Amino acid sequence: MTRSAKVVPIRSPDEPEDLAARVRALEAELARARAAAAAGTSEGPLVTLARVLQAGRRGIRWDSVARLWKSLYFAWHSEETDEFGYDPRFAETVRPLLEFLYTVWWRVEPAGMENIPSDGPGLIVANHSGVLPWDGGMIKLAVRHEHPARRECRLLALDMFALLPVLAPALSKLGEVRANPLNAERLLKRGELVGVFPEGVKGVGKPYKRRYKLARFGRGGFVRVALRARAPIIPCAVVGAEEIHPMIAKADWVGKPLGFPYFPITPTFPHLGPLGVIPLPSKWTIDFAEPIPMDHGPEAADDVLLVNRLSEQVRSTIQRMIDSRLARRRSIWTG
Amino acid sequence: MRIAVTGAASFLGARLLRRLAEERGPDNVVAVDLAAPPANLAVRARTVDLTEPASDQRLLEVFGEEGVETVVHAASFTNPRRDGSYAHELESIGTLSVLAAAEAAAVRHVVMRSSTAVYGARGQHPALLTEDVPLEKSAPLGWLREKREAEAHAALFAKRGALAVTVVRLAPLFGPAVHTFYTRVFDRRVVPVLLGYDPLVQLLHPDDALEGLMAAVRAGKPGAFNVVPRRPITLLAALHLADKLPVAVPHPMAYAAVDLLWSTGVGQAPAGFLDFVRYPLVADGTKAARELGFEPRFSSKESLLAYVAYRYGAGAAA
Repeated sequence: MTRSAKVVPIRSPDEPEDLAARVRALEAELARARAAAAAGTSEGPLVTLARVLQAGRRGIRWDSVARLWKSLYFAWHSEETDEFGYDPRFAETVRPLLEFLYTVWWRVEPAGMENIPSDGPGLIVANHSGVLPWDGGMIKLAVRHEHPARRECRLLALDMFALLPVLAPALSKLGEVRANPLNAERLLKRGELVGVFPEGVKGVGKPYKRRYKLARFGRGGFVRVALRARAPIIPCAVVGAEEIHPMIAKADWVGKPLGFPYFPITPTFPHLGPLGVIPLPSKWTIDFAEPIPMDHGPEAADDVLLVNRLSEQVRSTIQRMIDSRLARRRSIWTG
Repeated sequence: MRIAVTGAASFLGARLLRRLAEERGPDNVVAVDLAAPPANLAVRARTVDLTEPASDQRLLEVFGEEGVETVVHAASFTNPRRDGSYAHELESIGTLSVLAAAEAAAVRHVVMRSSTAVYGARGQHPALLTEDVPLEKSAPLGWLREKREAEAHAALFAKRGALAVTVVRLAPLFGPAVHTFYTRVFDRRVVPVLLGYDPLVQLLHPDDALEGLMAAVRAGKPGAFNVVPRRPITLLAALHLADKLPVAVPHPMAYAAVDLLWSTGVGQAPAGFLDFVRYPLVADGTKAARELGFEPRFSSKESLLAYVAYRYGAGAAA
């Protein structure tokens, strides 16, 4: 795009007016070239759309459609991601929606922010609920907005979400990685803050009548990862997310052939169609408990009894936090 | 002591041959292939057909007569072939012959070219694949099965201990002069993609691939090494950077359609390859950086843009 400036021979130094005029002309040309280059790179999708529509009168061509598609895509996405697929521009594009849900829709009230370390690794372990993984996004926003260090927390997404079409690329562009011990260990060893939901699918897809009863915490894999990376575990309790999609029944015979882990039936889904994916506006609280140090040494990861004990300690802490919140909660909608 | 290159007429083999001839002198380089090496390269050339039944005997003769100390085994297929038995003879059995002959001829070091595709594209993999991720023997894709079998042979000979075997797993090549079944996708204006999937891919510049192989030859360290570009790129970003128009197709339909096209002789590849545009496949190159001292110069995006500039002329992709 950049046009190389022409080399103009300077005739002789005893023609000052001529020289000044030439310099001015050259400067004007440079400014024009710069403006053209800037217009070429930052041409927004709307300008491209107008251009395509204008070209459309002469007949639509593939390359103009491809160009429009390209400018729309790169208005939302960065050209390159990190090695896990985190795309900062995509995250920025989606953030206003998440912020709306956080501040207006669910009026999230975080507490215990001081328990999250300002630097170094940390494993946030939370209860999972709400059919769709909105709770992860809210924990992430809470840490980003309310913690003084404005830390970015990377969530471990369940394999079932990390493999679904549409959701899989969206989650990876938001910075989530597949829940795999190797991924978690790599992130923690880099000193990042990682969020994990050990209940997994048993938690996020549980029926409404079993709300706020923590399911089994896997086989303690999250404890082993934290022990190996010497990362403290920060128990986290999310209250309010169980009510966003109260699941009355499951229709697995619909979901399984389509590759979904479960097919939820809620008061609004599927009979209200696309409207059914709008979550209900309950009032949320997110509590972080004191970090549990994990400096038993890496060989402790093979001690099954210790792993189970630590896992149970984390689980009971979260359950206690949930129960005390529920005892104080007067209404689902106003808290 | 001499260095032999099998598959010396292949794209990467020929570049390696040229590079080795420059570094060590043409008389110390032996080209082993069916086709003759380029006439302007005065390297020693031996004709061996790796798919012949007694190719290991023939290779043993060649390695012994030439006094070969190092073998770079670069004879493998990049594109899927319809005659699966020929691919099996070359990749699996051919590799076995090369390794057996090298061991018998007291060759010190074998560098084998492999591909990061051997890990397979699976949703369950860790996000960054390290060299110790186990390779399953069985694969629905014949192309993949042959490459894994070749790696299994290499692992077997490495375990026997007489031979140092370095396996270099290259990410898919993308760059000037690369023509493969997947670069052909970028020759179309409209490219079908799988609806709702946008995986990360790694595109390796051929210069980096060459440097990676050279680093493996120089270091002489046994084991597997991923040779990958600096950063991955998402498939859709790659297509858009090349000014393509991606059209989304639901994956159940796509698998059926691609298999139909392949079996009727129109398609470029069987449906098993769709896994590679469905699930991310990103290999970790830190082991090669640490132990071979190999640092890639290009990122995936730069490799892609280099290919686009080569294919459509400079300035095509701004």
